[in-house]
Amino acid sequence: MSLETIGISSAWVIPALGAAAFFFIVFFIRAFTPGSAVAKHVPSLSAATSILAIGLGFLLFWFVLADLLNSGPGSFSIHWLTLGDTRLSWGILVDNLSVVMLGLVTFVALLVQIYSLGYMKGHPRFAWYFAVHSLFAAAMLALVLADNLLFLYISWELVGLGSYLLIGFFYEKRSAAEAAKKAFVTTRIGDVGLLIGIILLFKATGTFELSAIFHAAEAGGISQTTLNASAILLFIGAMGKSAQFPFHVWLPDAMEGPTPVSALIHAATMVAAGVYLVARMMPIFELAPTVLLIVAVIGLITFVFAATIALVMTDIKRVLAYSTISHLGLMMLSLGAGSVAAAIFHLVAHGVSKALLFLGSGSVMHATEDRTHIWDMGGLHKVMPITAFTFLIGAASLAGIPPLAGFFSKDEVLLGVLDHRNPIFIVVALAGVALSALYMARVAFVVFLGKKRNPAVHAHESPPTMTVPLILLAVLAVSVGFIAFNWTDTYHGFAGFLEDGGKFHLTIWLTVLSAILAIAGVAVGWLVYVRGTVSHERIATRFATIHRILVNKYYIDELYQWVIDRVVLVFARFIALFDRVVINDTGVDGSGLTVKLSAWRLRYLQSGLLYTYGIFMSVGVTVLALIWWVVLA
Amino acid sequence: MTMFDSYILFIITALPLVGAAVMLFIPAHRQDIIRWFSAAVALVVMAFTFYVFAAYDHEAGGFQFMRAWNWLELPGPWTLGSQGIQLGLGVDGISVPMVMLTGIVMFTGVLISWKIVDRAKEFFILYFLLLGGVFGVFVALDLFFLFFFYELSVVPMYLLIAVWGSSTDFKTFLRTKEYSAMKLMLYLVAGSVLIWIALVAIFAEAGLGTFSILALQEIDFSRNFQLIFFPLLMIGFGILAGLWPFHTWSPDGHVAAPTAVSMVHAGVLMKLGAYGILRVGVFLMPEGADRWMPLLIGLGIVNVLYGAFSAMGQRDLKYVIGYSSVSHMGLVLLGIATLHPLGLGGAVLQMFSHGVMTALFFAVVGAVYDRTHTRDIAMFSGLAKRMVVVAAFFVVAGLASLGLPGTSGFVAELLIFLGLFQTYPIVGVLAVIGAAITAVYILRLLAKVFFGPLDERWKDQTDASPIEKFSAGILVVFILLVGLFPFPFMRVIDSGVTTLLARITGAG
Repeated sequence: MSLETIGISSAWVIPALGAAAFFFIVFFIRAFTPGSAVAKHVPSLSAATSILAIGLGFLLFWFVLADLLNSGPGSFSIHWLTLGDTRLSWGILVDNLSVVMLGLVTFVALLVQIYSLGYMKGHPRFAWYFAVHSLFAAAMLALVLADNLLFLYISWELVGLGSYLLIGFFYEKRSAAEAAKKAFVTTRIGDVGLLIGIILLFKATGTFELSAIFHAAEAGGISQTTLNASAILLFIGAMGKSAQFPFHVWLPDAMEGPTPVSALIHAATMVAAGVYLVARMMPIFELAPTVLLIVAVIGLITFVFAATIALVMTDIKRVLAYSTISHLGLMMLSLGAGSVAAAIFHLVAHGVSKALLFLGSGSVMHATEDRTHIWDMGGLHKVMPITAFTFLIGAASLAGIPPLAGFFSKDEVLLGVLDHRNPIFIVVALAGVALSALYMARVAFVVFLGKKRNPAVHAHESPPTMTVPLILLAVLAVSVGFIAFNWTDTYHGFAGFLEDGGKFHLTIWLTVLSAILAIAGVAVGWLVYVRGTVSHERIATRFATIHRILVNKYYIDELYQWVIDRVVLVFARFIALFDRVVINDTGVDGSGLTVKLSAWRLRYLQSGLLYTYGIFMSVGVTVLALIWWVVLA
Repeated sequence: MTMFDSYILFIITALPLVGAAVMLFIPAHRQDIIRWFSAAVALVVMAFTFYVFAAYDHEAGGFQFMRAWNWLELPGPWTLGSQGIQLGLGVDGISVPMVMLTGIVMFTGVLISWKIVDRAKEFFILYFLLLGGVFGVFVALDLFFLFFFYELSVVPMYLLIAVWGSSTDFKTFLRTKEYSAMKLMLYLVAGSVLIWIALVAIFAEAGLGTFSILALQEIDFSRNFQLIFFPLLMIGFGILAGLWPFHTWSPDGHVAAPTAVSMVHAGVLMKLGAYGILRVGVFLMPEGADRWMPLLIGLGIVNVLYGAFSAMGQRDLKYVIGYSSVSHMGLVLLGIATLHPLGLGGAVLQMFSHGVMTALFFAVVGAVYDRTHTRDIAMFSGLAKRMVVVAAFFVVAGLASLGLPGTSGFVAELLIFLGLFQTYPIVGVLAVIGAAITAVYILRLLAKVFFGPLDERWKDQTDASPIEKFSAGILVVFILLVGLFPFPFMRVIDSGVTTLLARITGAG
């Protein structure tokens, strides 16, 4: 095969490499008994295999991209299962949307894996860690390449499995085991919706193929009821994976996984899946405008709701986690306003920035014996300048400070909302923008600026395997916005790439306003957390009730826990008891007892006494004679 | 058809019985010989079942590997009286996967029982008798012999549970193995009374003087006859399939039985019930089936949800799996009740998938119980630290059970859901929700038992032995194989389902 032939038709190799790496490493680990000469090298060989697989994937991405630019989208499929008239196949679809995701996922996964070389060094399950990384990346890549809903659902679930294994990587910790379970169960509840939605579309069209379904929908072949129902059900699936309110609870807990895993999950994989799903299914959503409005509302609620919680979290990873939820809300809001390009633009900008922030926080933890409490830190910019500088860039990007990536993308989202939704949406969204800037400023300033707070912390800069990815990501966080914007008429930028004739605009007053709000947020953060002009403790005591509600995350986790403990489990125990007491002890043993008792009674009939039989016989004959006589008469 | 092919089903059925007979002559104290002999016989049987699967021609469909021996000539004015009762054998697309499933579970069950020292000789003899009966049901094409083998498998079950089983004894809850064995026995006998009434009625109504399914399938039984006698078969066989509310024998039986017997019991025996409904009920009385399926839908969905919630409320590790079987068999019944190609195909695949998966579950639970001598979930924490392989097997079984793609459970459940949505959409929604509830209780169990900090009590536990790894490994391979490449399995199943459905549309 010459180099020119490598293109869209080879796209399937990208996820296949990851899957192959997974199986290879798993058998590898098991093949050598611990202690043998080869076994010593298993960890490094496993890491090499995994990084090689994803690295090749990233390389292939460029070939696929080149092919796409030359000859347009393409797809192909192989046959999987036939039943009666129903054919199910595995298929790959490479278009502009999937290629963006392909690039983002392979790039971030590659950086995260390289970073992990340093971060996870010496862990006893080092090899397993890389195996699961490969599996996870493979599932996510298969998801974005899927050309039919069934294949998409399969990869979707495997992403769930990957996250379960990664979040629960430190399974000896009770909290990690619980977090993994929570993530899997919560997203799976959303998946009930997704699966039913897919089945409804299948029932209406007789196929899982995306293009065929879109075609049928646009031709009016699907009833409005089915369209509405399946759109809302698909969105429920997306809400689970993309941690939209009220399914967001699993995401902050997912911090129990190793920090690079958080970077992967939050930036490019897993949570991006929900956004991608809605973007991919946009032709269906557009035909169900009511559902699209719901998407916008849920997105807006999530955006502001999570931002308020992020303001008060004291764990660096949790601040970032709520920030992720918030930004996912913003992406959903954008989708709900119908602007797919802006949503995906923000997905990419956020993905790069958030990967940077998580890897940065991992670098901090690495340097401070796994501390995550922000008030333990402070003044770290002196000892770890690279981490500090790159972290500040990432934070500024997400805070929406011009001219970083997050500024551009957020602006486009807001513009879409302004054009397509009620003015209330834009007002609330702008409030959310200010909040984002404030909490980002808070976490960055408290950790890296100011004075050293805890004398026990002896931080140091991290090794190059960790800092190089940080620098790369920081460069992207600065440049992505510039690259994506359509500066001239001939350069179509990101929007033109995603949608024919798509274009990002600037509406000056909105851009200026959002920039002012972002800078104001950061300025307030500076005053409160660096200068100390206003004491944050005093604010907390002044608004004690609000502060308590926020610190407790609106008590939603408590509510769910209560429902599980007091309703679901109680009901389950009731059913279990019912089965034992009513069905078994009464129904089954009861009938047994009845038989026994009647036998005990009946045996007195067999007395063996002739005169008893005689009496019964004559009574019987009399009764029969009477009946006979009555009937005859 | 070669000579070998025409005898293969007879050999598969007879080998376990002959093996049992041969073991009578091996001295009881030579347990090593008994074990190796059992393993060898089981291995050969399993290999033959693979052969049947591989050699079954799915393009041609219908019954294959057929062979019949006249057994009893029935006197009377009947045309077919000379074939009254015959040992007629043959398999179609529905029974082929079941035969293979039985072969797999039989072999892995022998391996799992490697450590049995208490009266090992009697154990393996009864175990083989049981399996001979099970094979007989799946390959018999004669109602009399189908029933005969069915009964043959019940009796050893009683002894296996009552002698080698274990009791559950919590302060608030006591189930002795004798109670469970007796209950199982009575239930199955009660079911077989209903079945026998229906079978004799079929014999009499047809008036052909034969029990041969092949001859009987030519008869169009009157509508009224089908309406009256189909429910007898549905309930009678349904009892064995764990049909609610006649299911309580099954969790109790699963739990009380020794590991290998639990595997056969949940893995294969419950499938006999579902198979009976298909082979005798739907096959011979398609119109009755069509009429009565709404009831089966109703009971089936209760099975799914009720079983899932019951499983969540259990305290004994093995009871969780026991009730999960009730829940999963509900999906089989739902799939059957759709009478839709996707649903029926899914039901048969689910029978296979659940058989393999639940066998793996019981093997793993058995491995835990052998080491810790308790099954109280509250006592466990962090076992994965010491038993990482056991935990991995449990995770695979659990993932198959909650229908994760890549495992057999997903394909089977998906097909059942698709079939349900075509016929009873509301029930379809409930069934999908049932699968989500499964995820809740399985993941809770995993987190509690295997993950988290290691409980000090279990710090000296050992991981799975090589033989346990091998045995569970076989089951894992099939879970993944069916999950990733369902095509070879589904085309066989599909050929059987198509024939079956043609009878219903023909009758309707």
